[in-house]
Amino acid sequence: MTGSPPVIVAENLTKEFRVAERGPGLLGALATLFTREHRIVRAVDGVSFEIPAGSRTAYIGANGAGKSTTIKMLTGIMTPTSGRCLVAGIEPYRERQRNARSIGVVFGQRSQLWWDLSVPDSFRILRRIYDIPEPVYRRNLRLYRELLDIDALGTTPVRQLSLGQRMRAEIAASLLHDPAVVFWDEPTIGLDMVLKEAVRVLVNRANQELGTTVVLTSHDIGDIAAICDSALVVDRGRVVHQGTIQDLLRTADRRSVTFDHRDPLPLPAACEEIERGLPGVRASEDDGGRIRVDYPVAAFTSRQVLAFLLDRFDLADCYAPEPDLEDVLRRVYERDATESASPDQPAAPVESGAA
Amino acid sequence: MTRTALRYLRLSLFLGGVGLHRLAAYRLDFVLGAGAFLVRVGIQTAVVGLVFRQVPAVGGWSYHEVLFLLGFSLLPRGLDHLFTDQLWELGRKLVQRGEFYRYLIRPVNPLFSLLSERFFHPDGLGELIVGAVLVFWAGSELGLDPTAAQWALAPLLVLCGALIHTAVKLFFASLSFWTVTSLPSMYAATQVSEFAAYPLDIYHSSLRALLTWVLPFAFTSYVPCVYLLTGDTGLLVWLPVVTAGAVLTALAVWRRGINRFDMTGS
Repeated sequence: MTGSPPVIVAENLTKEFRVAERGPGLLGALATLFTREHRIVRAVDGVSFEIPAGSRTAYIGANGAGKSTTIKMLTGIMTPTSGRCLVAGIEPYRERQRNARSIGVVFGQRSQLWWDLSVPDSFRILRRIYDIPEPVYRRNLRLYRELLDIDALGTTPVRQLSLGQRMRAEIAASLLHDPAVVFWDEPTIGLDMVLKEAVRVLVNRANQELGTTVVLTSHDIGDIAAICDSALVVDRGRVVHQGTIQDLLRTADRRSVTFDHRDPLPLPAACEEIERGLPGVRASEDDGGRIRVDYPVAAFTSRQVLAFLLDRFDLADCYAPEPDLEDVLRRVYERDATESASPDQPAAPVESGAA
Repeated sequence: MTRTALRYLRLSLFLGGVGLHRLAAYRLDFVLGAGAFLVRVGIQTAVVGLVFRQVPAVGGWSYHEVLFLLGFSLLPRGLDHLFTDQLWELGRKLVQRGEFYRYLIRPVNPLFSLLSERFFHPDGLGELIVGAVLVFWAGSELGLDPTAAQWALAPLLVLCGALIHTAVKLFFASLSFWTVTSLPSMYAATQVSEFAAYPLDIYHSSLRALLTWVLPFAFTSYVPCVYLLTGDTGLLVWLPVVTAGAVLTALAVWRRGINRFDMTGS
C-alpha cells in the first residue's frame, strides 16, 4: 500500500467551533441573549495524514477526536478554520461541485435521499444529477439488485423504510456514480448480517474493478473488520498508527487463550495451578466451564503458554481469539499520552469536544 | 456556458416532472392548500368590496383599480412560489437538524439543488391563475388599453417582482445559518409583503418607506400597477436597480451562510 499515491491528504487540519457560554438554569439561558461570551471548542486539532489510493481505511480516533468533523471537511461540507485537505487533488470546500463528482457519502444519522420519494425514484434523480452514463447506471443497479435486494424496497417512500432498508439505499446511492472515494460516517450495517456481507462484497468489487478508496468511521469493530484492510489511528491530531488492521492488532500487549479440558480438577484449583506455573498470567473461569488465560505478551509467547497448558491438561478444545480492538486502541492512546506528555508542551487552553 | 445552462434546464424539467409526480401522491394536501388559498383571496376581495360600498375611492384608487392591484400582486408571488417554496424548509429545520449538508455534496449548484426539491409547487400555480383572472377582469372593467410598451414590459415586471420576493425569502432563510432557525423572521417578512396587495397611498409614510426601500415589496405590485394603470414611470426606473440590489444582497448572505454551515451532531 506504500506504492499507491495518496488520494487524500490532510495538512494541519483544524476546526474550531464557537459555543455560546451558558450559565445553568433559566437565568443562564436568558443571560446568553445579552452577553457575547463564547468558548472556542477545537474539534479537530492540527491533524495531518495521507490515505493511499485504493485503500479501505478505517479512520479511528478516541471519542471526541473529531472524526465526523474531519469527514465533513474532507467531503466539503465544512470549511477548516486553518490547515487544508486535498481529496483526489481537489480542496473539497473550495470546489464543492467538482469534488462532489469524485466522492460518495453516507452519514448514518442523516439521510441524503428524498424522504418522500421511493428509492428507484431517488436513483433516477441521482442518475440525472451526476450524469451517470447508461451502461454504468445499469451495471450498478444490477449489482444492487443482486447484493442489496434493492427491488424489495419497491415504491415505499424513504421515510417509511426501516433503518436497515434505508442503509441499503444509502450505501447504494453513495456508490451509484462510481466515485473515486467514498466516505461512510457511522453507517449502521452491523445489525444486519446479510447487509454486512453484501457491503463487504460490494466494496471488494468496487475496490478491485474501479480502485475505489473507502474511508470508514465506525464504533462497530465488526463493521471495521468486514470492510477495511487498513487503519488510521489519530490521537490529539497525530497519526499514532497507520497500517493494516492486523498490524494494529499485533501491537496488543495482552493476548488470551480459552480452553476446555477433560481433567477432573475443579476449576478454581486449575486456575490456581496455571497462575502458579506462569507468574503474571491471569486465569479465570469463562462461559460454559471453560478457562480463559490472559497473558502479557512481554512475558510469554503464545507458544510457551500453549506448551504449558498441553503439558498440564488434557485439552478438549482451545481458542486463541483476536485481541480486542478496543483494548488495543486504549493501549495505543495511553502510550501516546505518556510519550507526548513532555514538560515543554503548554497546557491546552482549548477543550476538545465531540462534534 | 450554454452547455451548463442546457444541463440545468434539462435538470429543471426532469425535477419539475418529479414534483408534479409527487403532487399526485399528495392530492389531498394539494386540494387543502388550493382551497385555503382560494378562501384567502375570496376574503380579500370581499373586504375590498365592502370598503367600496362605503366610499367611492380609497387613497385615490377606485374599486377596480384596487382589484387590479390585488390581482397583480398575486402574479410575482405565484411565480416565486412555484419555484422557491423549499426555502421555508431551510429557515425551519434544514440547518437546525444538520440536513442541509446534502445540498453541498451534489455536483450541482447548492441553491438549485435546494430549490429543485420542490419545483412546481401547486399553490403557486393557483396564485398565477387567480391573479391573471383578477387582472384581466378588473382591467376590462376599467377599459384599460395598454400601450405596446406596457404590454411588452408587463411580463418583465412580474419577473422582477418574483425575483424580489425570492430575494427577501432567501435573505431571511439564509439567516438560519447564523441563528439555526429563522422561521419567525421569514414569517414576519411574508406578513409585511401582504401590505403590498393594497395601494401604498393609504399607509403611513414610514410604512411606505419600509415597503419601498427596506423590504421592497412595493416594487412587486404597487409600482408596476401605477405604471400599467396611469403610465407614470416615477418609481419604475428604480425597479431594475432594486431587483438587482435585492438579489445580490440575498445571494451574498446565502454564500456567506453556506461557508459557515456547521453540520452539528455526529
